[in-house]
Amino acid sequence: MFEKVLLKNAEKPDAYGIKAYEAAGGYQALAKVVREFSPDGLIELVKDSNLRGRGGAGFPTGVKWSFVPKDSDKPTYLCCNADESEPGTFKDRVIMEGDPHMMLEGMALASYAIGAEVAYLYIRGEYVLCIERLQAALDEAYGKGYLGRDILGSGFNLDIHMHVGAGAYICGEETAMLESIEGRRGEPKLKPPFPAVAGLYECPTVINNTETLACLPHIVTRGAEWFRGIGPEKSPGPKLYCLSGHVQKPGVYELPMGISLRELVDDHAGGARPGRKIKAVIPGGVSAPMIPESGLDVTMDFESLTAIDTMLGSAGVIVLDDGDCIVRAAKNINEFFHEESCGKCTPCREGLDWTDKILHRIEAGEGKEGDLEQLDFLCGSIFGNSFCALGDGAAWALKAAITQFRDEFVEHVEQGRCPYH
Amino acid sequence: MRQAEESANVMAKITINGNTLEVADGTLVLEAAMEQGIDIPTFCYMARLAPLASCRMCLVEIEGQGKLQPSCATPVVDGMVVRTDSPLVADTQKSMLELLLANHPLDCPVCDKSGECELQDMVFEYGAGEARFHDQKRVFYAKDIELNPVIIFNAQRCVQCQRCVRICEEVVGAVALGTVEKGMDTEVTGFENSLAGCDHCGNCIEVCPVGALMSIPYRYKARPWDLKETDTICPFCGTGCHLSIGVLDGQLSRVRSKYETGVNGETLCVKGRFGIDFIDGDNRLRTPLVRKEGALTAVSWEEAAAFIAERAKGAADKGGPAAGGLASPRLNNESLYLFQKLMRTAFHTNSIDSSSRWSAAGADAYQSLAGLFGGLYARRSLHQVLEADCILILGATVTDETPVTEYMVRGAARSRGNKLFIASARPSRLDSEAISSLRFVPGAEAYLLSALLNGIEGAKKTFANMGALKKSLLKAAKTPPPEFKEFLEKAGTALGAAESVTLLIGADLLRSPGAAAALSMARGLGRVLDALGKRVEVQFLFDRPNQMGAWELGGLPGLLPGWRPVGDAAARATLEEAWGVSLPANSGADFRHMLERSEAGELDVLYVAGGDPLLSYPDGGLVESALIKTGLLIVQDAFMTGTARLADVVLPAATFAEEAGTFTNNEGKVQELRPIRRPAFEAKPNAEIFALVAQALGCDLGPVSQDAVFAEIARLVPSYQGLSSHGLGDDGSYTRPFAEDNGGDLDDPPLALPRRAKGLELVTGDSMFHSGYLSGNSQVLGNLSAEAYVEMNPEDAAGLELADGAGVVVRSSQGEMKVRLKLNKRFPAGVVYVPENFADAPLNRLLKHGEYPCPVEVLRG
Repeated sequence: MFEKVLLKNAEKPDAYGIKAYEAAGGYQALAKVVREFSPDGLIELVKDSNLRGRGGAGFPTGVKWSFVPKDSDKPTYLCCNADESEPGTFKDRVIMEGDPHMMLEGMALASYAIGAEVAYLYIRGEYVLCIERLQAALDEAYGKGYLGRDILGSGFNLDIHMHVGAGAYICGEETAMLESIEGRRGEPKLKPPFPAVAGLYECPTVINNTETLACLPHIVTRGAEWFRGIGPEKSPGPKLYCLSGHVQKPGVYELPMGISLRELVDDHAGGARPGRKIKAVIPGGVSAPMIPESGLDVTMDFESLTAIDTMLGSAGVIVLDDGDCIVRAAKNINEFFHEESCGKCTPCREGLDWTDKILHRIEAGEGKEGDLEQLDFLCGSIFGNSFCALGDGAAWALKAAITQFRDEFVEHVEQGRCPYH
Repeated sequence: MRQAEESANVMAKITINGNTLEVADGTLVLEAAMEQGIDIPTFCYMARLAPLASCRMCLVEIEGQGKLQPSCATPVVDGMVVRTDSPLVADTQKSMLELLLANHPLDCPVCDKSGECELQDMVFEYGAGEARFHDQKRVFYAKDIELNPVIIFNAQRCVQCQRCVRICEEVVGAVALGTVEKGMDTEVTGFENSLAGCDHCGNCIEVCPVGALMSIPYRYKARPWDLKETDTICPFCGTGCHLSIGVLDGQLSRVRSKYETGVNGETLCVKGRFGIDFIDGDNRLRTPLVRKEGALTAVSWEEAAAFIAERAKGAADKGGPAAGGLASPRLNNESLYLFQKLMRTAFHTNSIDSSSRWSAAGADAYQSLAGLFGGLYARRSLHQVLEADCILILGATVTDETPVTEYMVRGAARSRGNKLFIASARPSRLDSEAISSLRFVPGAEAYLLSALLNGIEGAKKTFANMGALKKSLLKAAKTPPPEFKEFLEKAGTALGAAESVTLLIGADLLRSPGAAAALSMARGLGRVLDALGKRVEVQFLFDRPNQMGAWELGGLPGLLPGWRPVGDAAARATLEEAWGVSLPANSGADFRHMLERSEAGELDVLYVAGGDPLLSYPDGGLVESALIKTGLLIVQDAFMTGTARLADVVLPAATFAEEAGTFTNNEGKVQELRPIRRPAFEAKPNAEIFALVAQALGCDLGPVSQDAVFAEIARLVPSYQGLSSHGLGDDGSYTRPFAEDNGGDLDDPPLALPRRAKGLELVTGDSMFHSGYLSGNSQVLGNLSAEAYVEMNPEDAAGLELADGAGVVVRSSQGEMKVRLKLNKRFPAGVVYVPENFADAPLNRLLKHGEYPCPVEVLRG
């Protein structure tokens, strides 16, 4: 039986205060690190743990940290990406509401490793309770000397500023997030230079996801080997899965990385509703291509999902059953991307407007001959050509729906109506 | 910087479309391809802007990369294999265009841009030829939005390349344009959907690839293919921007700048882009006028010439002090040269001046000027001069006076990280690019320079070799006022560390009674820095297009063409031989002395060729009375100026756009002016008028065609030797330094810090929208900025208890005038500014000769 790590405190009622956190061993990792670790030592530990970023791309965290130039005369910044806005994703929220200190401790550890004395916490504006709890937690941590000047007498200084996002999905993209913190229009920036070299205010910057940071205190306390022992060697660790859609028990589940998708959906989330059969599952937020029911035996880790042309992404698992219209789902998802496209690049801005028009038409039973081919063309034009992953993800997800459930699209066009509604 | 140079020397071997070539490592793939003559379509790319890579038109295949890469943002690396011509690349280009056209309105028949639209051209070249999008197109507004009186915006047509936003921020520095909303609703606009407060430079219009941002004065006026475009040089300031004037049926239609052409690249300022309509100003002179029974009366050229012959002959024969001439530094080189030749040969006088604004520069200043121009002056591209490690701007409000130069300074400070220091009376937005800016009252320039030199490590050791200058160099350092401290420390450190230094001197410095001392000290600065092993260069930031030409070609009372003193017998002999007459050996009168003589009833003839001293010369009252008392006042101008109204004979002249000629810009570069039409009405080219006047006086100026005069200049003026009017090239040719700074003893100028007046002190100069009376004749500029104002700090204005825009009275010991109040919290305490250009607010009625800045009071109106 897997012992919960990330949700251990969060699932206890009212355990978000510093007393409860300390009672459960909180801030011991920070105390240990400032006493026993050099920054490089901590980077090595995290490299050794094989921790990979939980924001979606799965980049090895320790390696990311090691890209920060050692000889820069500029300050280094840490940014916590807590903008969690991928539809179907609500895992970071659970941490921030239920166990905010765990993330703050993680931020302190990461800052120590990369030599940052200022860290930004970029949080989704709609997460009102998270913001409230985090602010209280920040105040408590400053009060106890876990943040601020000369932390625990070590000489290590850290200030954390919370920056509340204004609701744009694109600001979850790391370079757009940096622009947003700087007070500029939230749009992705060219890479290179990568943030590790020239990020926030053109200074070396590391951006880590909430869940990634939350893993850090545990890696410090229990060791890299322990962490590597959970799930697959190459992408190990405890993982939060967000189950939503048509399952019996939607919610956030903490399980090892690499669990089978079928087990996750059927055993943990209670499977399909009575009398219904699962039709498809989106494994990692709406940017991830959907998998038909026949593919559910895949394991939930970065490599396995990439191998079947989808992704673990944010592990936002959305379940569609046989009562769901794939055209409608595709339309809704595309509507989201169309709404959230920042407008910077041509394919994403113009392409998603066009797909939006066609999908609305098909779903309303007004599809025309050639519309599907047009969607094929548009997906091809957007995917691989857009500036950032927003357009790519939108087109990738749409293409999967059209490819795997083409019959449903054809049916809509031929019958001139939605067979499901 | 050295590192950058080294890496620039590393070459990368790359293959584009099967051809292998070597380019500097780090070159963008797009630029490497362009060098090979390979066309890659782009919208968002512009050489002078930071790469954006948003339009996705320039995607190319790069071996080993999983997806297509934007060539505009991808630097080459050794061994890179690029394909720009594969079917995948072509398909992608086709797709991007199809996407862009999906919501583009296709209202080409009524679009101003049609015919020179990049989207049209690109669809023609790379597009699919058919459209599959048949849904409702996005519509922002039913009507185009007038963002200000010159810029109109059609949101539908915008392709979101952001060139406008970026040029406004990165180059112009105004940050007036921005982007609102997102996705398909993304829209470029100004604050509150207006650009009322922007520079109105129209560079956003220029860089717009489609018909989204358009010029209101040009709106629906012409189809581009019907325009006859003439490339010429801007007549407003000394930057010397290239511009193309489009004419339809003999009428000025528009002015634009061409992509990466001239010193200005694709930029212009509001005056250059929208102010050229002055050539069709209501105030143009139509015929020659002669005063008959007290009134100026239209006459024929013959009658005007006969009138001059009759009235001027006596004075011309008398020569010397009986006659004087003032020429405008807006005239072209050939006209200025002929003017001084006319004055020297037909009127036998050296009484020649070429600016009516600098009350106090005086003869000493011109000697120092000659020294500067002989030695330190950098006769090379401003772009190169701005590569210096340290740039010091002295006595200039660059943003207003030479805006395109300002763009270039900004670019140097931002992209190269050169250290910029500004010492000026007025604040400007260029201050934000500077390491340190100092506000000081004009007159302290020499003091400031000497204090600066004292702060440079090791400089003092070099003072021993500075002769008489040594004393004053050391003097200033003792007690620099506290407000100078930070600037002196930072600039001193930067100058000490720099390997190369550029000093840019503005026109404001020349107004001050301390001009001669300041110029002398500028030479001292050059000497000291040179002795410290640094490369030092100087350029002026003249706010007139041909100040350099005016001086170099002898528009000065004590100096012959080529900065040679009139007392120099050998120099005189050369000219005497060439011109076939004997020349006066005594220095003539400068304009101040001409006025004094006239006031004393001793000036028989005053010839004003361009310029309006009645409006611009200090002691306005004296000017008026002296002009009236002049025996014969000849005014030659394109416009009916205040001075012309007092004239006895008025000769209608061509504007810069109606005669062939050249300007010498602040870089010392000679550039060709090409006429767009014949002179309006009965006006004649300036050169022809001078010949006519000479003829009336029984003299012959020789052939006056532009070619002939230019050839004569090239023969007789050392710095123009080797140039020919046909060989200047599209980008102009540089004049040459005529002699090294002779290393002689430098003067020991008086260096006392000017005593600050108790009350307010008034400074003046060009505003962003105006430049002398010329811009006042532009209808567009007149609309943009119609009224004079006094700009001052809110605290200085606190006692007035008046709001911005209220009417106030500015009073000096000489007089008073009513203007509007303009509050600017960045303005330094104790200093107020009134622009000098407004005919209905003649500032020179307040200014006193030899006193600048001018003590004033500002009172409730």
